[in-house]
Amino acid sequence: MDSQTTVPATSGAFSAGMRLPQTVRVSGLDHFFGEGELRKQALYNNNLDVRRGEIVIMTGPSGSGKTTLLTLIGTLRTVTAGSLQVLGHELCGAERDMIVCLRRELGFIFQAHNLFESLTAFQNVNMAAELAGLDRRVAAARIEALLTRLGLGQRIHYKPQSLSGGQKQRVAIARGLVHKPKLILADEPTAALDEQSGREVVTLFQELAREEGCTIIMVTHDNRILDVADRIVNMVDGHIKSDVAVRETSVICEFLKGFPLFADLTPNTLAEVADQMMVHEAEAGQELIRQGDPGDLFYLIRDGSVDVLVADGATSKKVAELGQGQYFGEAALITDEPRNATIRAREKSVFYALGKEDFRRVLETSATFEEELRQALFRRQ
Amino acid sequence: MNTPLAWKNLSHNRVRTCIGVAGVGFAVILIFMQLGFQRAIRKTATQIYDAWEFDLLMRSPAYLHLTEPRAFPRSRVMQAASVPEVAAARPFYLGLSQWQAPIHGDLRAPPTQPTNPEDPAGEWRSIITMGADPHDPGFVRQDICQLARQLSDPSFVLVDSKSKPEYGPVNKRVFSAQDIGVETALGPQRVRIVGLFELGTGMASNGACLTSPAGYVRACPWQTIDEVNFGLIKLHDPAAAEQVRARLLDILGIPPPGDQPAALRTNTDVEILTREEVNAVEEYRWVVETPLGQIFTLGVWVALLVGVAIVYQVLSTDIANMMGEYATLKAMGYGNKYLTQVVLQQSVLLALVGYVPSWGIALGLYHVIETASGMPMAMSAEMMLIVLLLAIGMCVLSGTAALRKLYQADPADLF
Repeated sequence: MDSQTTVPATSGAFSAGMRLPQTVRVSGLDHFFGEGELRKQALYNNNLDVRRGEIVIMTGPSGSGKTTLLTLIGTLRTVTAGSLQVLGHELCGAERDMIVCLRRELGFIFQAHNLFESLTAFQNVNMAAELAGLDRRVAAARIEALLTRLGLGQRIHYKPQSLSGGQKQRVAIARGLVHKPKLILADEPTAALDEQSGREVVTLFQELAREEGCTIIMVTHDNRILDVADRIVNMVDGHIKSDVAVRETSVICEFLKGFPLFADLTPNTLAEVADQMMVHEAEAGQELIRQGDPGDLFYLIRDGSVDVLVADGATSKKVAELGQGQYFGEAALITDEPRNATIRAREKSVFYALGKEDFRRVLETSATFEEELRQALFRRQ
Repeated sequence: MNTPLAWKNLSHNRVRTCIGVAGVGFAVILIFMQLGFQRAIRKTATQIYDAWEFDLLMRSPAYLHLTEPRAFPRSRVMQAASVPEVAAARPFYLGLSQWQAPIHGDLRAPPTQPTNPEDPAGEWRSIITMGADPHDPGFVRQDICQLARQLSDPSFVLVDSKSKPEYGPVNKRVFSAQDIGVETALGPQRVRIVGLFELGTGMASNGACLTSPAGYVRACPWQTIDEVNFGLIKLHDPAAAEQVRARLLDILGIPPPGDQPAALRTNTDVEILTREEVNAVEEYRWVVETPLGQIFTLGVWVALLVGVAIVYQVLSTDIANMMGEYATLKAMGYGNKYLTQVVLQQSVLLALVGYVPSWGIALGLYHVIETASGMPMAMSAEMMLIVLLLAIGMCVLSGTAALRKLYQADPADLF
């Protein structure tokens, strides 16, 4: 039979393209604050994989543990339970020296900018460049370019006390980026910035991710910059509630929209459907559905192709060939009848499957589409 | 690293740095003063001995301290003088007598009571009275030797100009040329001030006077001219002091020290000490045995502790104010070594900047105290170095103590 996995379709784990190494691997991570009776759990069994070059946005209400997770990944807190690997190093029980070395590979942009009041913008950024052991002239050129790019060209030699909040924030951003870190961790990097400079910062992030393969994890409430995210992680009360690859989800939604019964669904509902789909894999020649079996899953072909075979007496006849973005298995779920055809993979293929219950619920939702629209209009008042 | 962060921190926040410098400076002044007092006591302890010219000193084995020296036969000094290695052996008389501070009435105002011209009717004060041969008194300073020549009559005295005003100088402040010719009482006899000399007796007494041996026994009638308090032995070769002492002990029939405990040495009426031994005994007495010395020795420690407390407070506040910034450095990947370096540099800079003005202020205070109390407050290179090292030590210690929090905490907890 098919090899079903517990991997959600929207995780992006099976998206097409090169498999890049993981920069961050969080598995079974718990975190506690306080001691003894005051001990309070802040993170519960967090799992998260971030690949090289990804831009991850973490959202969630305040107190949900986003910043805690970010500081744990950034080695700024001690990992006590579970496993956390950053750039190939396990942080749980790690040596202090290793952590000090690892920190130099990271760029941290803090919510509190924590600039040295006694140093100019240039010198503050230079503190990070010096640590990286950059040549003085190379570093100077890069710092000036970076600060100019962030709109501080006129204020390179100003001290923090004569900079505005947003300008200080941008100095802190330059400090986090100057040494070309492999992983950038940013806590509300655009909170103090106006739209234009916020946009400039995220564009810079995108360039770093694309050109330098830099991985970026960002905690933000700023929905103006959501478009840069490759992945959006939502946290509630210390749990990772959802971890969604944006591009993959939009691909799935596009595919789903092609299915006439789902054509009326809102993007929001489509995304929810996508969230409920699981990844299936099949080798060449493997049968996913056998004619006559009871139907239990609805399939979407993510990658590869299948043959549709209908048995007519003793001989089976190939009636169709389906490829990427097409779907099968819906008839048996709608009519509650046995499968009317056999589906066999032509090559190694990947499918996203939706369970019968979920499929039915979506159809009901679809029926209430008009109702949903009324509600939306009503709420506008 | 290239950025002089410690210097930038100090020069950026001038107010905070000034408070730090003031804190360190206060501690340094405190230590300088206590150390100065302690050194002054050590110095005054031997001040009179330092003024005498001797390589070996004879005195009674019953000697208690300078103003309680006890006496021994003058013949012992004469015996010592007969040894060829001895260049000079001079008897020296010293004891505590009573000085009647002369009252100098306001000449413009008529006296309220009829005064007896025979009786100066002043307060009686203890005074160190020294008796020495007017022609060869045995002082190191030649000016005192010259002045001693005026003591041609037993009723003539020279007064130490460093004596306190309570001894009744005419101008009520200090003995000066105005006092020459004044008559008063020393012990049971009348004396006349014929001149002044400058010596200073430190803690032992508030005043001193010098007269001839005959004048001394007039002032201290419990002693005869044949009983002296000290014998000042000057040698041709000061380096041979040990051998000459052995020879003298032999001649005087005294068993060499060490053969039996001093307490059991009942057969001696004199002991002979080198200058080092004399100084050691006096310093021990004043620095260790007297409450005064103990107070100032304790004072040095207290000053040090208070200094550490102040400097720690200043530095730890300073570091606490910058904790977020230091934590950021740590988060960026700077090791504890670098942070320690920055904080220590900052501490040492603070110590140095705090030290220099405090040294100047301490020097000024030394002068004021010396003028006011006559205590010899002196700044030596050794003291300067000790206090400098102490200041740096205090700052470094406080700095590292204040850093402990930074070492242990996760950076995320410090933002």
